[in-house]
Amino acid sequence: MERYLGGLTGPHEMGRHWGFWVGFLAVIAAGAAAPDYLSRYELLNFSNFLTSVFLALGLCVMWGFCGILSLGQGAFLGLGGYAYGIAGINFIESHGHTWAALGIGLAVPVLVAAVLGFIMFYARLRGVYVAILMLVVTLLLETFLNQTAGQGWFIGDAHLGGNNGLGRFSGVIREPPALDFGLGGDIEFNGRTRAFYFLVFGLVVVVYLGLRWLVNSKAGRVMIAIREDAERTEALGYDIRLIQLGVFCLGAFLAGLSGILYVSWESFITPTVFGVQNNILPVIWVAVAGRKSLTATVIGTLVLLWLSQKLAVQGNYALVVQGAILILVMMLLPEGAITGAVARFQALRQRLARRASA
Amino acid sequence: MTSGTANGGDGPLLRTQGLSKAFGGVRAVDGVDFSLEQGELRSIIGPNGAGKSTLFKLLLGSIKPDKGKIWFRDRDVTRAEPHKRAHMGIGVKFQHLGVYGDLTVRHNMQLPLQHSLSGEAMDAEIARLLERLNLAGTEDRRVAELSHGQRQWLAIGMALAMRPVLLLLDEPTAGMGPEETRETGTLVHSVHEEGVTIVVVEHDMAFVRQLGAPVTVLHYGRVFAEGSLAAIEDNEDVRNIYLGASRTMAVRGRHH
Repeated sequence: MERYLGGLTGPHEMGRHWGFWVGFLAVIAAGAAAPDYLSRYELLNFSNFLTSVFLALGLCVMWGFCGILSLGQGAFLGLGGYAYGIAGINFIESHGHTWAALGIGLAVPVLVAAVLGFIMFYARLRGVYVAILMLVVTLLLETFLNQTAGQGWFIGDAHLGGNNGLGRFSGVIREPPALDFGLGGDIEFNGRTRAFYFLVFGLVVVVYLGLRWLVNSKAGRVMIAIREDAERTEALGYDIRLIQLGVFCLGAFLAGLSGILYVSWESFITPTVFGVQNNILPVIWVAVAGRKSLTATVIGTLVLLWLSQKLAVQGNYALVVQGAILILVMMLLPEGAITGAVARFQALRQRLARRASA
Repeated sequence: MTSGTANGGDGPLLRTQGLSKAFGGVRAVDGVDFSLEQGELRSIIGPNGAGKSTLFKLLLGSIKPDKGKIWFRDRDVTRAEPHKRAHMGIGVKFQHLGVYGDLTVRHNMQLPLQHSLSGEAMDAEIARLLERLNLAGTEDRRVAELSHGQRQWLAIGMALAMRPVLLLLDEPTAGMGPEETRETGTLVHSVHEEGVTIVVVEHDMAFVRQLGAPVTVLHYGRVFAEGSLAAIEDNEDVRNIYLGASRTMAVRGRHH
């Protein structure tokens, strides 16, 4: 097993047993066949949930593996979404330059993260200071974009549109377009299409496996060492500032990807993506599921998104209920519900095995 | 383990001049001139709040001095970051246990070794180091399952894995029983005999006596006295500020 899957089955992520990978393949198969048994609406909805997984995985790697909590990942989602949307309005429809819009949508959040991260980590800011500084950054972006409704706020053909959202109310409506990889007339990557679902589902699988490999690599080992004891990791010869900066940029990249896919799904983005709720919810998903596990993060994020949508139909209690779940899980299983449950199950199995052999 | 010609020039291996660091209004370290020859073993003692921990952090680089300089192997390292000093040959074992409990002994040892080794060469080096640390055969055990003393030795082993020229040990016997303390003393002596220069910051006078090495006494952030163990133990001023109180401290130290 170890030989074939190499870094994917290292010690830093659950799922080292062959049974896990059988289940994994079953999930892939079920996911690939989803358009055959889900209704159009369900598929569209599931596609939307999947776009958030990248944001959550980025936070999982930053916080759960490297100890960097950010309360402002929505900033990078929003920057990715806006940058992609602005570039898309200018390039995709008129010139078909999807790759340029995609590249700009990823580059903007990463560059902003590089500047912010350089300032924070080289000043040796840690813990709650990073978390709060990022919350301030995202709220500043929200405030700024909310006042861009006037006719002066154009970037090329894209009207920033204030709290109405990008491209909506500017005389001639020019909304952010969907991704278009030029695969032929009918293949579009907006939220209503199967193509979009396959794109985002495939990306979730690839990113999940890639991050599994990363956390079990040499760099992953150093990240975990920083989380456990930063001072000691430095004394073992690692420039922790540089590694924290790299992980922070990776988190911004993944949040930006979520933003791009969301805009492509919806053809719409407003400054609320920078708001408090959109920055706190990812922290709840990751904390409730188990921040030290990529697998738990993917499952927990999808379950909580589904749950909050169900609750939203009943009334405006979704956020309250999710807050209650967070408090309950933190009290009963502080490492997260899924991670904690798996750990309990393994301890039980070991105890039974010991009793059987005794 | 380390070559005897590690020092570039003829000067001391480590030297500080007028080293000072204040926190708020408190001068934790106040004008310390400290010097260490290649191959020395030295104990640094002092009552609580004497500045031992601050001096230790200044030497490893996690805090920077307000005034003064530090030279290591004739290079000015006053502003060098800890990871740079680690690669120059300063190894550190912190007082708090910096081993990672959820991981195995092997995974802990890989962290310092992966700079230069991989595969079978790394496994061989891990086995060799664990043998020296009385931890042979524990590679695949979780660190949380080791005894307190074994974890302390593992932390020393992780510092040794960097092949340091100078090893800084902060209270290596904190929380150990008499038997483990004795074994730690033997380990420190054997590492010293291989040519590694060692500084031990210590609270427990019993362990300082066991080391038998020259002693630097800190008091209110200054070097109060320096000399052989016998001379320091006979020094009445030192006894007044420290040794009287330390007997009770040493006894207490065994119980945490």
